[in-house]
Amino acid sequence: MADLRPILLVEDNPRDLELTLAALAKCQLANDIVVARDGAEALDYLYARNGFAGRDPGNPAVVLLDLKLPKVDGLQVLETVKQDPMQKHIPVVMLTSSREERDVLRSYEVGVNAFVVKPVDFNAFFEAIQDLGMFWAVLNEPPPRGANGL
Amino acid sequence: MTEPTTDTPIDPVALDLDACAREPIRIPGGIQPHGVLLVLAPESLEILQASTNAASQLGAGILAGASAADLLGPGLVGWVRSGEATLLRSLTLGGVEYQVVGHRTDQGTILEFEPTPPEAGETLDTLYPRLQLLADSVVGVENLHALAALAVEEVRAITGFNRVLCYSFDKDWHGTVIAESGDGVLPSYLGLRFPASDIPAQARELYRLNPLRLIPDAAYQPVPVAPAESPLDGRPLDMSFAGLRSVSPVHLEYMRNMGTLASMSISILVEDQLWGLISCHHATPRRVSPQARSACNFATKILALQIGSLERGAHAAARIRLKQRETELVARLSRAKSLQSGLAEHAGLWMDLAGADGAAILVDGAVRQVGNTPTDDQIRMIAEHLHENVPQDVFVTDELSRNLPAARTFGDVASGLVAASISQLHASYVMWFRPEVVRTVSWGGDPNKPATGTAERLHPRTSFDQWKEQVRLRAEPWSRAEVESVEDFRNALVNFVLLRAEERAQLTEELERSNKELEAFSYSVSHDLRAPFRHIVGYAELLRDRESALDDKSRHYLTSIVDSALAAGDLVDDLLSFSQLGRAHLAKTRVDMNKLVEEVRRSVAGEHVDRNVTWEVDRLPPGWGDAALLRQALTNLISNALKYSRGRDPAIITISGEARPGSTVYRVRDNGVGFDMAYVDKLFGVFQRLHRVEDFEGTGIGLALTKRVIDRHGGWIKAEGKLDHGATFTFGLPKHEEQADG
Repeated sequence: MADLRPILLVEDNPRDLELTLAALAKCQLANDIVVARDGAEALDYLYARNGFAGRDPGNPAVVLLDLKLPKVDGLQVLETVKQDPMQKHIPVVMLTSSREERDVLRSYEVGVNAFVVKPVDFNAFFEAIQDLGMFWAVLNEPPPRGANGL
Repeated sequence: MTEPTTDTPIDPVALDLDACAREPIRIPGGIQPHGVLLVLAPESLEILQASTNAASQLGAGILAGASAADLLGPGLVGWVRSGEATLLRSLTLGGVEYQVVGHRTDQGTILEFEPTPPEAGETLDTLYPRLQLLADSVVGVENLHALAALAVEEVRAITGFNRVLCYSFDKDWHGTVIAESGDGVLPSYLGLRFPASDIPAQARELYRLNPLRLIPDAAYQPVPVAPAESPLDGRPLDMSFAGLRSVSPVHLEYMRNMGTLASMSISILVEDQLWGLISCHHATPRRVSPQARSACNFATKILALQIGSLERGAHAAARIRLKQRETELVARLSRAKSLQSGLAEHAGLWMDLAGADGAAILVDGAVRQVGNTPTDDQIRMIAEHLHENVPQDVFVTDELSRNLPAARTFGDVASGLVAASISQLHASYVMWFRPEVVRTVSWGGDPNKPATGTAERLHPRTSFDQWKEQVRLRAEPWSRAEVESVEDFRNALVNFVLLRAEERAQLTEELERSNKELEAFSYSVSHDLRAPFRHIVGYAELLRDRESALDDKSRHYLTSIVDSALAAGDLVDDLLSFSQLGRAHLAKTRVDMNKLVEEVRRSVAGEHVDRNVTWEVDRLPPGWGDAALLRQALTNLISNALKYSRGRDPAIITISGEARPGSTVYRVRDNGVGFDMAYVDKLFGVFQRLHRVEDFEGTGIGLALTKRVIDRHGGWIKAEGKLDHGATFTFGLPKHEEQADG
């Protein structure tokens, strides 16, 4: 626990970003939160390149990944991560406003660890984020078989 | 009595064709004795072949191998070496005037010498004014028989034959005598029919190529041509175009049986097809000079031209009339609801198109008919027969029973049939019918006995006495114009059908596109519309957390903001579910409805924690459907029951079900506020509410969603209620075929 790895939050919508950060702050997690505003930036962080060229080495504890993102969308980021032997163990939690079946299905096909539809109810959202934070960032265990969201 | 058809044990037509095929009519190996034939090599003028009477008639040295240069003289030599195709010239040899006729073949140039008959006074000069007169007199004669009468009169005047007939052939090559001129020596054949077997196909083809034949004496002995084979190609001499060509012994026998010793026939060619014959007969041998023959040939051509123009005129007039009908009908069809109804509504036009007494259309086994037609089953039988046996787009017959023996039973309405196929794949047809027309045909002799066979050879029939036959199961034949009209109409119909199919395809495409758009739309609704509500709720909550010292009013405002945004979020979610339902795939299985109701009761338990609710739940039969969707439907119904019974103590919610044949039925009843049956139609509509939102919360989509779920399962749902006396919702689900009853 001494060397807590950061949480990578990938979110383009500034309000969602602010609210998610607020929720995470409420969890009082010790992990650093790294924010990427689109898929390309997320990949830059994961591969320590461009703007993140000099970052501390190591993978994040968890990636909270919005589905709809500018430039490179969430599914593509997920695909890249899950197809890379060096990265595929990083837990990825997909956050999305969408209940579209195909997004869920596609995410599971690609190997997402959890899938969260952002609830309108802030308290529910807060709980979801809190659970996520605790589960992935603190325990940081590999996902149980068949974990399908919270 | 029937016509000679394949019904008779031995087809007489086939028999004669066969016999005649054995008759080498183009290469008989000899000539008739009233002239001399020479075959010359065009350059050297060497005699390649000669009839064996050449030396005796034209001079001792005229034999194969000799030169013909001296015999012919410079004038004829000039023609032989020229490029001119044919020759007709007179030549005097040893005091005898000959008419020399020449034509060219691959086997050499053929010259035929005929001594000018002593009685023949006519020259082309004297014949010319007659022909001019004929040409003038036929103009404007619009009756075929009158026209033919003029021609036979003229030919008899030129030739002096005892009897001159004009035959016309029908489509089966039976000939009918349509005009006759005679001096009474030979019997009259006017109006009689002669079977196709009298002039076999091989002879008809020769008649088409070489329009005139003369047999001055049917009792002649043929004169051989020597050598028998052409030195140029080693084959027997082809005399297709030689006037002296010796004819088939069968034909000579036929002439003798007919009581005629001399004959001449001239082909009437209309648009290069053998339309008929001018046929001349004489009781005794008779010769006709080449000039007179030429004149007759010319007279016949005048007749043929006039017939051609009459037929074209009549055809064109009929086509124009029918085209107008067709155009009118197609225009009306294009506005019709369907092809079938359009045709039926314009029955007169439809039948007129082919001059029919009845018409029918058969598509996908369904028959619509107008006028006099066979029964539906009979029409279907005709269609099946055509579909299996007739590859053509348009089938035409005036004797349906000949193709389809079973059609005899309804020959009175459908002896004549024109059928246009309007589908490549299916037995779909538009048909026109004509009734049987019983008529009497007078044959020149019994056509059923055209030939008698002996061990060695066939003999033509011997009797030409009039022989009457009743023709049955025949309709008035369809004219060329009528058939073409049907063909045109078929094309229009096929286009019409294709157009409809295209329109349908286009519609489907548009539907798919709009479905995709809808999908994209609901995606963005789901994704983008929810976000602002989430933000509103999120910020309001953050604000409430931050400002612990808010007064009650401010707290109330904040709560209202959050509640409103949450309600809007629910609305978006419900709308999305509703739109997704239309295209969601149903994963149907056997669903334990008891279990489902238990689960739903548990999930809605939070909605009535502080209420007194009595549940009356029966054993429910299992349903067949998508468990998740059925859960959604049940949740809505049970939530509603709880919601609208809120004021009751106790609230009684009854859930029951029963298996019926073919379906299972479920019922959710409450003792709540109920509703006025006057508004029952509005109950299942989207956003239709029967209560004020402050009385009963909700998005107004729940029941619409429920109905959609049930609809997607192929089931039904109904609501019954009375204001203040509760409501009952009942829905039925179709049973799966494997699902046992009960």
